[in-house]
Amino acid sequence: METRISMEKILRVNSVNQIFTTPTKKSVEALRNISFEVSSGEFVSIVGASGSGKSTLLRIIDGLIKATSGEVMVGNRKVDGPGKDRAMVFQHDSLMPWRNVIQNIAYGLIILGMKKKEAEEASSYYLNLVELNGFENHFPHQLSGGMRQRVNVARALAVKPSILLMDEPFAALDSQTREIMQSELLSIWEKSKNTILLITHQIDEAVFLSDRVIIFSARPGQIREEIVIDLPRPRSIEIKRTQAFVNLVDRIWKLIEDEVRASLKESQL
Amino acid sequence: MHSWFSSFLGFLDRDTRLSGIVRISFSIVLLLIFWEILTSTLVTNKLLLVPPYEVLEALLKELRNGRFWTNAASTFIAIGVSFPIAVFLGIGIGLLLASSRIVSLTAGPILTAMYSVPIVALAPLFIAWLGLGLASKILIVVLVAIFPVIVTTEAGLRAADKPLIEAAKSFNANQWQLFSTVTFPYALPFIVSGIRVAWARCLVGIVVAEFFGSFAGFGFAILSAGQTFDTATLLAYVIVLGIMGLLGSLFFTALEKRLAPWRQE
Repeated sequence: METRISMEKILRVNSVNQIFTTPTKKSVEALRNISFEVSSGEFVSIVGASGSGKSTLLRIIDGLIKATSGEVMVGNRKVDGPGKDRAMVFQHDSLMPWRNVIQNIAYGLIILGMKKKEAEEASSYYLNLVELNGFENHFPHQLSGGMRQRVNVARALAVKPSILLMDEPFAALDSQTREIMQSELLSIWEKSKNTILLITHQIDEAVFLSDRVIIFSARPGQIREEIVIDLPRPRSIEIKRTQAFVNLVDRIWKLIEDEVRASLKESQL
Repeated sequence: MHSWFSSFLGFLDRDTRLSGIVRISFSIVLLLIFWEILTSTLVTNKLLLVPPYEVLEALLKELRNGRFWTNAASTFIAIGVSFPIAVFLGIGIGLLLASSRIVSLTAGPILTAMYSVPIVALAPLFIAWLGLGLASKILIVVLVAIFPVIVTTEAGLRAADKPLIEAAKSFNANQWQLFSTVTFPYALPFIVSGIRVAWARCLVGIVVAEFFGSFAGFGFAILSAGQTFDTATLLAYVIVLGIMGLLGSLFFTALEKRLAPWRQE
C-alpha cells in the first residue's frame, strides 16, 4: 500500500470558507476553515451528517462554485472553474438521455474538442473497464440504476482526470446494488490507479473504500477528525464482517451520532 | 365471449403501430355508422346533412373534373410556404425569448395577448393591406400557427434538467456547447409538440384565409359549396382537411417519440 500512494500531493485544500446569502439576505456559513490534502493514488472519503456542506465542498473543488475565501490547488494549478484535471461523478442521473452508452462516455472528450469518432474509440476502453461491453448502443433509460452509474464513472474516467470527485455516487441505488458497486469501484480504482475523493453519508461505504476518511461536523461544516483506514487491500465484501472494520465504523459513527440526531430533530420541526 | 372482448380491449390499449391503426380505423367506422344512422333517421333534409356515400361521390366527382387538384395546388402552395416560415420563425423567436430574461419579460405579455386574440378576425384587414394574393394568406397562416411553436420552444429551452447542465459545466462546456449538447436536445421534443399543434392551426388558418380572398383552395371550395347549398362537396373538402390534420398529427407524434424515447417510460 505504501508503494501505491506516492508522496506527491494531487489536491490541496487551503482554508476554504463558504458563506451563502439566502434570498432573505441572511448569511449562512456552510464551510469553515477546511484544509486537507490528498496524495496521488489515494482514495479519500468525506463523511458527515446532512447539512455538513460536504457536497458544497466537492463543487468548490470541481470549480462549479467559487469559495468565499481560501484556495484549492490541483497539482500546481489553482482551481478557477471546472477543468479537465478533475472529473465529477454525480449522485443523480446526469447522463444525456438522448445519447447512447458510448456517446455518453465520450461526452467529456467531445467537450474537450475531440472528434466524435476518435472520442468514441477512446471511450471503448472505459466501456470495458466498467464491464458494459455489448451495451454501447443502449440508451440510459434501457439500463438499470447500477449500470447507469457505471456509465457515469466511465464518462468521468475517460477524460483522464488527475482526481476523480464522487458525490454520493451510490446513494440512489438499492442496498444490494450498492454493495456490488462498491466492490466494482475498488477494482476499477485498482486497475486505473486513479486518485479518488468521495463524498458519502454511509460510514461503512467510506471505511470499505478508503485509505483515509475525513469526518465533517455540521453547521458550519468543518473537519472534525481524519482517520486512516489501515485495513489490508485488496478488500472484498467479507472484510465488512471483521472486527477491525466494525470498530472503525463504530468509531466514526460515535463522532457524528449527535449531529445526525440533531439534524433529525431539526427536520421534524 | 367476455374474455375475447377484454383481450381485444387489451390489444387496443397497447402502444404498437398495429394497435394504433386498428384504433383509428375503429373510431372512423364508428363515426361512419353513427353518421349513416343519423342521416337515415333524424336528419333527412339533404341541405343539412347528407349520408357518407354521397360525400364520397362528391369527392370522386371533384377528383374527376380536376377542381380538387386546382384547389389542392393552391392550398398546398400556401401551406408549403407559410408552415415552414411559422416553424422556423417560431423557433427563432422562442430562442430569443429563452436567451434573455429581459426580452422575455418585455415581449411576453404582448405575445400572450396576440396568442389569445382571434387572428382570423383580422383577416379582412390583412387582405386590405396586402391584397388578395399569396402574401395575405401567408401572413394569416403564419400568425395563426406560430404561437404554439414560440411557446413550446421557450418552455422547452427553459426546462432543461439542472443535473444535466451541471454535468456539462463540470466537463467545462462553454455556452455554445451547453446549448448544443444539453439545452437544445432537451427542448427538441417540446418544440416538435408545438409544431404538431401549429400544423392543426395552420390548416384552420389557410381555410379562413381562403374564405376571405381567393379563387381557389380548399377554403374557397368549402365557401362556394356552402353558398350553393352543395352540402356533399362541402363535407368532402372538410374531410380531406381532417385527414391532413390526422396524418400530420400522427407524423409529429411519431417524431416526438423518436426524439425522446426515454419519456415513454
